Amino acid sequence: MIEQQTDISIEVRNITKTFPGVKALSDVNLSVAKGTVHALCGENGAGKSTLMKILTGNYQPDGGRIFINGKETVIKSQKHARDLGIGIVYQERSLVKNLSVAENIFTGNEPRNQLGFIKYRELFAKATVLLKKLNININPQVKVATLSPGLQQMVEIAKALSQQPRVLILDEPTASITETETKILFEIILQLKKQGTAIIYISHRMTEIFKICDVVSILKDGCYQGTYQCEEITIDDVIKKMVGREMKQIDVTSFIQNETAIEVRNASGNGFSNISFSARKGEIIGITGLVGAGRTELVRAIFGADELASGEVYLNGAAVSINHPSQAIKNGIAYLPEERKEQGLFMDMGIADNIISGNLSAVAKHNLLNKKLIKTAANSYVRQLAIKTPSVSTKVANLSGGNQQKVVLARWLALNPTVFIVDEPTHGVDIGAKYEIYQLLQNLAKTGSTIILISSELPEVLALSDRILLMYKGTITGCIPRLLASEELIMEYASGLKKDSAQMQQVA
Amino acid sequence: MNLKRYIQPALLYSVALLPLVFSGCDESRVVDKSQKKESVMVNSDEEYVMVTTAINFPMYVNHDQAAFKRWGNEHGVKTSILGPSDWDVAAQISTIEQVIGSKPAGLLINGTDPGIAQVINKAVDAGIPTVVYDADIPNARYHAFLGTDWYEIGRLQGEAMAKLLNGKGKVAYLGILGMTNMDDGYRGLQDVFKKYPQITIVGRYDDKANVEEAAHITSDLLRAHPDLAGICGFDGMSGPGIGLAIREANKAGKVKVTAVDWEPEHLQMVKAGIIDHLVGQKRELFTWYGAQFLFDMKHKINTLTADDEKAGIVAVPHKVNTGLIEINKDNIDQFLKN
Amino acid sequence: MKKLLQEREAFLAIAIVLICIAASIAWPGVFPTFDNLSQVLLNLSIDAIVAVGMMLLLISGSFDLSVGSVVAFSGGITAYLLYYCGMYPLPAVLIGMSAAALVGFINGYLVAKAGINPMIQTLAMMGIIRGAALMISGSGIQNLPADFNVLGQSNFLGLQSPVWVMLLVVFSFDFLVSKNIFFRRYYYIGNNEKAAMLSGIKVQKLKITGFILASLLAGLAGILLASRLGASLGTSGKGMELRVITAAILGGASLSGGEGRIMGALLGTIFMAVISNIMIIARVSGYWQEMVLGLILILAVWIDIVLKDPRGLSLKARFTKLKTS
Repeated sequence: MIEQQTDISIEVRNITKTFPGVKALSDVNLSVAKGTVHALCGENGAGKSTLMKILTGNYQPDGGRIFINGKETVIKSQKHARDLGIGIVYQERSLVKNLSVAENIFTGNEPRNQLGFIKYRELFAKATVLLKKLNININPQVKVATLSPGLQQMVEIAKALSQQPRVLILDEPTASITETETKILFEIILQLKKQGTAIIYISHRMTEIFKICDVVSILKDGCYQGTYQCEEITIDDVIKKMVGREMKQIDVTSFIQNETAIEVRNASGNGFSNISFSARKGEIIGITGLVGAGRTELVRAIFGADELASGEVYLNGAAVSINHPSQAIKNGIAYLPEERKEQGLFMDMGIADNIISGNLSAVAKHNLLNKKLIKTAANSYVRQLAIKTPSVSTKVANLSGGNQQKVVLARWLALNPTVFIVDEPTHGVDIGAKYEIYQLLQNLAKTGSTIILISSELPEVLALSDRILLMYKGTITGCIPRLLASEELIMEYASGLKKDSAQMQQVA
Repeated sequence: MNLKRYIQPALLYSVALLPLVFSGCDESRVVDKSQKKESVMVNSDEEYVMVTTAINFPMYVNHDQAAFKRWGNEHGVKTSILGPSDWDVAAQISTIEQVIGSKPAGLLINGTDPGIAQVINKAVDAGIPTVVYDADIPNARYHAFLGTDWYEIGRLQGEAMAKLLNGKGKVAYLGILGMTNMDDGYRGLQDVFKKYPQITIVGRYDDKANVEEAAHITSDLLRAHPDLAGICGFDGMSGPGIGLAIREANKAGKVKVTAVDWEPEHLQMVKAGIIDHLVGQKRELFTWYGAQFLFDMKHKINTLTADDEKAGIVAVPHKVNTGLIEINKDNIDQFLKN
Repeated sequence: MKKLLQEREAFLAIAIVLICIAASIAWPGVFPTFDNLSQVLLNLSIDAIVAVGMMLLLISGSFDLSVGSVVAFSGGITAYLLYYCGMYPLPAVLIGMSAAALVGFINGYLVAKAGINPMIQTLAMMGIIRGAALMISGSGIQNLPADFNVLGQSNFLGLQSPVWVMLLVVFSFDFLVSKNIFFRRYYYIGNNEKAAMLSGIKVQKLKITGFILASLLAGLAGILLASRLGASLGTSGKGMELRVITAAILGGASLSGGEGRIMGALLGTIFMAVISNIMIIARVSGYWQEMVLGLILILAVWIDIVLKDPRGLSLKARFTKLKTS
């Protein structure tokens, strides 16, 4: 741990933030010095985003103090944060695509004349100066929509820098840009560092962190794990501290049976190509890779939610044609989507309505819904999955993340799926519910269902999967059996460093 | 958003305006609208209801409704004007149906569409004096009808046009296609032109009673037929639309224009020499005498038998043609002075 | 009490009863008569039939602006066939209804499959079909045959047939939409279309069906109207689309979908019809009516937002919050 009191630009002490059902941050400390690049590491859901949202005034902490240049400050709003000199480049784009680069950079503080009209000449001149200073070669008059994702990222950074922030937060800045663009970005970061800007750099990419950052702080499950100089620590140590929670020992017996349940041959579609794999009854097969590797696209196509351009899917040895989720469901395939709120739930409807949504006929007599059947079915799943709710008619929107996810699970369990695809099943779910969900998936495997588990959380994949398929840029690059798997090996495949030959992949 | 930013100035403005509103009014400036001339003893609760459609259509407001209200004031009875604000005949019908239930002293109905025949009969059957004005409604058993002869409107326009053109040239027709009264007008026009073999009609165009549409069609016509000699307009908006396009093309006086109605914009165009001849209706008379008929029926002013009702006699004229107005540069000043 | 008020249907029903009581006191000899009330029912029956279809679409998260034009169009086609072709009523009605269904299918197909925004699609269709209706019926087709007029003019228990048809439509759809598993799916689509699709609901097919049903009901309304008037008017149903959407939203629907009940559509229509009846009795001019209905709509939706606020903020608390933000 470092002790550095001088030149601290921003510091948080004992910050705590709770959301219904989840403790997002507990007692977190962080201090960022001027002229340093400070990495913030942690798994998804570790609390990085929440912390940044507190620093930018989006959230108010439940407890703890914030110091800016040594002075205790309450950050009231986004605007206040900007005025305090805190700039952020979000992971999601905040640009207006149909406006020019210059207009985007100076949104809200364009140079104006007395009548309130924008002085375009001055606007473009200012933008040109700023972009030149940053060594970014973009014409400020072109529309943002015409730029590549990488250049758009540069515009985002320019936008943040137009306010001349003293603290700049970069949230996964390299997630969607090419290597050359990454190089330019790093040059800009170094330049800012020289000027004395404090930079908070959030990324999952360890190599990048060790290339550009001076200091690294680690969060795990909302708890602060310490701050280290980059020279003093190794990648392995950081990963260990990020993921090294005491996993409740999960039973590792596998329930694999002999018959093949699902086989995918030469599947290609939007975002993935030439994918072949098979899974047996009772098997839990993990699919992992970086964001954008094509995992979700692949399973959506198998489920019929997106188009499968070519390739075949076999269930229990027979070819099936699936063009719509309804056909997948008829064939016993279920899919728990990645974005629970956007794709999984009917937020303004009750728990019972959500649970029965996959199969209304099951709770109907002569095509008419039967209140009694609905209630029995809903109650039985609420009990079985220990969903905490006052009643089955409670709106799903009023439940915590973990209970919401259980509602989605209940819907699919009600269909007794033979193949259950779960996409990030524990995303944004608290620890307790997480283990309940793991247990549930294993119990399902025990009864002979095949589970395809997509997850970015490596400990989860390692703990549950009988086999792990690795995807990189839309193809399967490897297949690791449980006994050989380790986080390091997975990361090597996932980042494209390692790739099995085609023969090796046949094992899959 | 900071609402305060908007509320405060808005309040300030309103407060600043208040004294203006009060100081800007003077009791003595209010026109006395109630010059009652009591002749027949009437109950001031006695109510005559006019039901029209497109209730705020300027021509209706300025002529029909103004005269009806004036009539009510002079006789010391209540007048109400009801109907939808759009041209919605079904809504007019449903309004009439609901008015019937409240048993007014008399019902004055704008004959907007032949589809209202049934509801007119319903009013008559309910024992309410019922008068229809403007367009005649076939199969309606109204007590009286006041209107004009559209065939005559067409004929007068035709005669005026033939005179303006000295009996030869190309003429175009604008109006609403598919309206019975305008079809009658077109027949009148055609019958006149039959006498002048050198006048040819280049076509009938639908301006949908819309100024822009009429202007559009006219400018297209002027380009397509450089030798176009005259245009006849048959709905209220034809005249202003044609005039607009003629003025923009600098063809005033070169292309002769005849049209219907005499709203201020029509009159201005006659004065400016853009429209040469107008044929107008006496709409004020429709509603004035229409209301008077209702009043006479209600108060049995004229009785022809011991009991007209039992005898099945209606003691007001059955169909009245209020006649037409012709306006050209010779008499335009009298209209503008009005 | 608050819970009761949160049920829009109950809220509306109470409001209607209160307004009727007030009107009966103010105009004892005019308002609460059987003649007047049956007239109100007759006049609202056409709107209510169309509102049922609109409610179904609103539940599924979409709406149809072309219904008013379809009213004129189907009535026009039927009248044309009866009057100019001398067709018997039954085939003429069936052809009129199929024409309406076709319009619904085109709307639904282009919205669901081609992804055209329902607002744009049905706005365009509103113009197209209105034009077609004016072309067919011109200045109107009068003197429709008596055996056709029987449909809309016969009386049963003192009420004219459109009222009975309306009640039949409302109650059967109310039953189906609240119980039947096919119709129940519209709630899921309206609540979250993506999740509905991933739950195996055939979203596109249902959407197309929804548009067809809405159009069919508008077609039925148009034919009933023509039969009731004994004439088809090119301008009938003008402005009806917004009136009907207003009624449905008053009745508990939301433009974002997933909410509302068929019975709410009827109550919303009744509410508007009673208000407009009172204004006619009170001799209030046409434009006032539209203003009053507009204000009522804003008020109703606002009350709803306040009552349903998950934060449970009172009206006063909302204002203070608005000020500080």
